[in-house]
Amino acid sequence: MTVVPDVLCVEQLSKSFGALRAVDDVSLRITRGQVVGLIGASGSGKTTLLRCMTGLERHDAGYVSIEGKPFGRVSVGGVDRQQTRKEMDALRPKLGLVFQQLNLWPHLTAIENIIRPQVVVLKRSREEATAKAVQLLTTLGLSAKSSEYPYALSGGQRQRVAIARALAMDPALMLFDEPTSALDPELVGEVVALLRDLAAMGMTMVIVTHEMGFATKVSDRIVAMNAGKIIFDGKTRGADLASNRPLAGSHYT
Amino acid sequence: MSKFDPWLIVEYAPHLALGAWRTIYIVVAAFLLGYAFGIVLALLSFLPGRLPRTLLTIYSVCLRSIPFIIALFIIYYGLPFFGVRLPTIYVAIVSLAVYKSAYYAEAIRGAIVALPRGQFESARAVGMSPAQAFRHVIAPQILRGLIPPSTNLTLMLIKESSVLSSIAVAELTYQGLIMQGNTYAALEVFTAVSAVYWALCSMTAWLAHRLEARSNAPQAAAIQRNRIAARYLSFERVGK
Ligand SMILES: Nc1ncnc2c1ncn2[C@@H]1O[C@H](COP(=O)(O)OP(=O)(O)O)[C@@H](O)[C@H]1O
Ligand SMILES: [Mg+2]
Repeated sequence: MTVVPDVLCVEQLSKSFGALRAVDDVSLRITRGQVVGLIGASGSGKTTLLRCMTGLERHDAGYVSIEGKPFGRVSVGGVDRQQTRKEMDALRPKLGLVFQQLNLWPHLTAIENIIRPQVVVLKRSREEATAKAVQLLTTLGLSAKSSEYPYALSGGQRQRVAIARALAMDPALMLFDEPTSALDPELVGEVVALLRDLAAMGMTMVIVTHEMGFATKVSDRIVAMNAGKIIFDGKTRGADLASNRPLAGSHYT
Repeated sequence: MSKFDPWLIVEYAPHLALGAWRTIYIVVAAFLLGYAFGIVLALLSFLPGRLPRTLLTIYSVCLRSIPFIIALFIIYYGLPFFGVRLPTIYVAIVSLAVYKSAYYAEAIRGAIVALPRGQFESARAVGMSPAQAFRHVIAPQILRGLIPPSTNLTLMLIKESSVLSSIAVAELTYQGLIMQGNTYAALEVFTAVSAVYWALCSMTAWLAHRLEARSNAPQAAAIQRNRIAARYLSFERVGK
C-alpha cells in the first residue's frame, strides 16, 4: 500500500514584518479532498499565511511541502536552505491561488488569460490549452464572455475567469483569498454554489474569509486564526460551532 | 532693412534638406541608443537591494541637473582627454543618447512601478519565471503607459539636437547659421528652419499617436461593444 502524502503540509511556519509576528508558529495539514475555511479577524495573518504557503512571501522559519515535496525552505542535515527560484517555480502551478484582487491581466481577453499560462508554463500546445480554457469557461457559465477583456466583465464574471485561470493549471490545491470581499452581497450565494461544485468535483481547497457564516457554508473544516496563531481547528459538520465560539478563546489549540 | 524674400529659401533648399537629413539621422540614432540605455538602466534599477535604485537616481539627477550644452561640452572635450578620438557626429549621437537615457530610464521605471504589484505576482503565482512574467504580463502593459512620456521626451530630443551646432555638426541649425552668414537674411532663414523642425516634430507626434491608437485598439473595441464597461473603467481597482 502506498502512502498518499498530504496535499499541503505546513510545519511551524513563522513570518514577521519588523517586530510584528504576522504568522506565528503555524502548523497545518490538508488532505486530499478537504475544503478548509480559514477564518479570522482582519489583520490576523490569513493573507500572509497564504502568501507564505504559495511562496510569494519568504517565511522566516518553518517548512511547507506540497504533495510531499518541499517548497521554499528545506532542511538539509539540520541546516535550512532556501530553494532556488527554479525549484520553486516547478511546484507553483500545483497551487491555484485566486487573489483577493483577482489580478486578471487587463491586456488579455478572458480566454487568453486562461490559455497563456498553460502555454508558457506547462508548455501545452495552443490547441490543447484552448480546448481546456473553453471547457472551463463553459463549466463556469462564461462561454459567451470568452473574448471580452476583463474590464468588460462584471465582478462575478471576473472572479470566475480568475478561478478558471488557476484551475487550468491542474492544481492540487486551490486557495481563495476573501472570495466574497470584492463582490456585491447578492452574489455571495453564487460563489457558495460555485465553491460547492468544485468541492463536489473533489477539489482540495483553502478558503480564506472573515465571515463565519460563509465559511461554514462552503467548508468541511474550519481553521481559525488570531494574532498570527491558529486558535481553532475542527470539523464543521456535527460540531456545534456556535457554542465552540472559536474566535473568542485561545484554549483551542 | 530689406524686405522679406521667400526666394532665398528656394535657393538654399538643398542646404536645408541636407541639414534636415543630418538631424533626422542623428535623432533616430540617438533615440535608439538612448532608449536602449534607458531600458537597461531601468531594468537594472530593479535588482534587489537599495544600491541599484540609488545609482540610477544619482545618474539621472546628475544628468538632468545640467543643460544639454554643458553635458555635450564635457563629453566632447573630455573624450580626447581620456585618449578617445571619435568623429564629431558619433560624439554628437552618443552625447544626446547618454543625456536622454537618464530621462528615458526614469520614464520606463515609472511605467513599471505604476503597474499594480499584483500583476507581477499573479504571473509568478501560476509558475511563470520573472522573465516570462515580464514578457507576457508586464511589458505589454507598460508599453501603453510609456508612449506619451516617451513621445514628449523624443520631441525634446529633436529640439535639443540643435545644440549640436555648437560643436560644428552640420545639422539643421548649423546649416541655418551658415545660410544666415552668407545671406544676412536671418528672418527668412530661421523661419524656414523652424518650419522644418515643426514638420519633424509633427511627424514624430503623428507616429506616436498611431502607435498609441494601435496599442489601445482592443480596449477601444471592447468599450464600443459594451458601453457599461466604459463606466467600469474608471472604477478599476488599482491594488494596494
Ligand atoms: N508587507 C507587509 N509589510 C508589513 N506588514 C504587513 C505586510 N503584510 C501584512 N502585514 C501585517 O501583518 C498582519 C497580518 O496581515 P494579513 O495577513 O493581511 O491579515 P488578514 O489577511 O488576516 O487580514 C497585519 O497586521 C498587517 O498589517
Ligand atoms: Mg487578508
